[in-house]
Amino acid sequence: MDLFINKLYIWSRSQKNRNLLIQFFFLIFISLFIYYLFTKAILLDMTLSHFDSRAGFGISHTFIIDYTSNDSRWVSYFTGVINTIRVCIVAILFATLLGTIMGVARLSKNILFSTISYLYVEILRNTPLLIQIIFWQIIFLKLPRISEALTFGNTVVISNRGIILPNASPSDNGNIWITIIIIAVILSLIVSYIINKKEDLDGKNIKLFNFKFNGNMLSILLFFTITITTYFILQKPFNLDLPSLYQNNKGTFVQSGGFEFTPEFGAILFALVMYTGTFITEIVRGSIQSLSKGQTEAAQALGLSNYQTMTLIVLPQALRSIIPPLTNQYLNLTKNSSLSVVIAYPELFMISRTIMNNSGRALPVFFLILITYLSLSLVISIFMNVINRRVTKIGT
Amino acid sequence: MTKYKLILLVLSVISFTIFIACTSDTETVTEEASTQTLKTVQDRGTLKCGVNDNLTGFGVLTSGGTFEGFDIDYCKAVAAAILGDASKVEYIPLTASARFEALSSGEIDMLVRNTTWTASRDRDLGNDFTAPTFYDGQGMMVYADSGYKTIEDMDGATVCVLQGTTTELNLDDRFTSVGLNYTPLTFETNDPLQAAFEERRCDGWTTDKSGLASKRAEFPASAGGPESLVVLAETLSKEPLGPLTRDNDSKFYDVVQWVVFGLIQAEESGITSANVASMAANPTDPGMARLLGVAFGDGKVADFNFGVDPTFIQHAIAAVGNYGEIYERHLTPLGLTRSGSLNALWTNGGLIYAPPFR
Repeated sequence: MDLFINKLYIWSRSQKNRNLLIQFFFLIFISLFIYYLFTKAILLDMTLSHFDSRAGFGISHTFIIDYTSNDSRWVSYFTGVINTIRVCIVAILFATLLGTIMGVARLSKNILFSTISYLYVEILRNTPLLIQIIFWQIIFLKLPRISEALTFGNTVVISNRGIILPNASPSDNGNIWITIIIIAVILSLIVSYIINKKEDLDGKNIKLFNFKFNGNMLSILLFFTITITTYFILQKPFNLDLPSLYQNNKGTFVQSGGFEFTPEFGAILFALVMYTGTFITEIVRGSIQSLSKGQTEAAQALGLSNYQTMTLIVLPQALRSIIPPLTNQYLNLTKNSSLSVVIAYPELFMISRTIMNNSGRALPVFFLILITYLSLSLVISIFMNVINRRVTKIGT
Repeated sequence: MTKYKLILLVLSVISFTIFIACTSDTETVTEEASTQTLKTVQDRGTLKCGVNDNLTGFGVLTSGGTFEGFDIDYCKAVAAAILGDASKVEYIPLTASARFEALSSGEIDMLVRNTTWTASRDRDLGNDFTAPTFYDGQGMMVYADSGYKTIEDMDGATVCVLQGTTTELNLDDRFTSVGLNYTPLTFETNDPLQAAFEERRCDGWTTDKSGLASKRAEFPASAGGPESLVVLAETLSKEPLGPLTRDNDSKFYDVVQWVVFGLIQAEESGITSANVASMAANPTDPGMARLLGVAFGDGKVADFNFGVDPTFIQHAIAAVGNYGEIYERHLTPLGLTRSGSLNALWTNGGLIYAPPFR
């Protein structure tokens, strides 16, 4: 026994071992805490079995999924997920575009452009996003009421119920059409790849009827040949779905048909684009400024125009330092989209909340929401990492 | 020296064992506390009441910083009954979606927030509804110039509705059962909903009829005022509203329930906040004496053993008046006529009825 205590004493003399001991107890403490939470959680119904029951509520914005209240809660949940993805993809595209333009404008020698960009960044970056969302909702609600809606022929209807544009609804042959177009695209890509490779190896273009062709031209030609032939066989791929605005038998205006751009979607889209755009502006500006001045001067010495300097020399190089912080902004945008719950845009958080209230089981639904946002973020990260890997290869 | 180290090691192991034991100990203690709300309230000296702060007539936070309304008076009545002082209430404003978790987590003692009694809320969410204080029904409010007279007229309409309420589900039931198309715009709170309705983003606004009456009464003149709106005659659903407490908390539950009944019985017996003192001093019949917790003539005081003072109904009446007085004070100004409605006393053909105090 004495020997054991002696050994233990010697063991405990080492700072490293003592740290190990402290860490060991800390680990026990953390595991106990997790165990405690787990025992609490196990009392609750953590399964999502109630998601199989009938949803029973309507959703104002449906896209791709043709949801009705008779569907299960799972279907309503995925309707919400798709609404989130929809607003995020569009917002990411426009925010990037806006941010790039504003970032370049910020550095412009033209005082008007740089001042506009400066004011845009400083005002919108420094106000809360939630307030901007409500602001845009109020702006969209100030569009003419449906009884005074602006109509352009029978094609566009503008009111505070939404901007309604003509829509293409697939005809009877729609599915065959989509399949053929997908096949045509894949075929064209393969053809262009093979021929470009062959031409690279041979060092000369393929000649057909005395015309020189390269792979890209051939693949485009192939694509159009396929689609035009299909058109003559199958006729129209889609029918035009024109919006209509009419007074019902009570004298109240009702609208139907067309593609609806609703004020709720518009408000959340504008707010996300304008807000995230400010941060992207600063990222673009910073990245351009971090390039050595010699690059611009060399381009000018070669006689390139300002536009050419920007698009051919500056932006491609700046892209390397733009992409990593840009990924952060995309992730922020995705997570911020959950704020649209205040203006009645039914995205995934709002629909999950409704399910939570109807079922009274909050915890499992919350886990589902967390997992969904995590997956969306990871997909964006992976996608951006792939782009980043390609971009960093440029010029090396 | 070595022994101390060893002792330290052993002690720490023991302390962690105790930690596990303690977690289970505290658990049972809190569970007991949550089922003894009556004692908790008496010890604390205040009643924590979950209310609405944005529904004129039922529960509203006034510009003076005080709470007022039909539901608020029930908080006051229960506080007066248990603690003898109607001002000892801590009002906790809650949103529709947060209210049940606030009750089940023990943040509030009772919930009086125009809450509908349903089977899933009673059983599944672990609540106990005491008794309906107001029989409501879901209605639909539209603009008068829209020409809509019934729900059947509203094919293709957009309807504004609050999220997380039974209203949302009733609305869908009603429209889909007759095969009508509609678009629900689901808002989390009332203010953005009203903004959208004022701009005619939606054709209809649906919630409980009492709520619609309250929103109609205060509709701003700039948007057309109350006259520009009509509440359709049809009732989409049954909405009995009343106070609720936690499951397995029968002592507190009984007190709240019998305060509700006591105020109804008081109206039936003709006891008001003005005459309750003289009635208590000189009850006209034994039934009144039992209600007010006083002796009739030379007899003994009937104590129903509620765990509070036998005169608790007396305190409640003195604080807020009988059922009719509460209704008159808060709901009549909204245009909710009582006579002929479900909320008339049973003697007048309504549903307001109290079991006997015996």
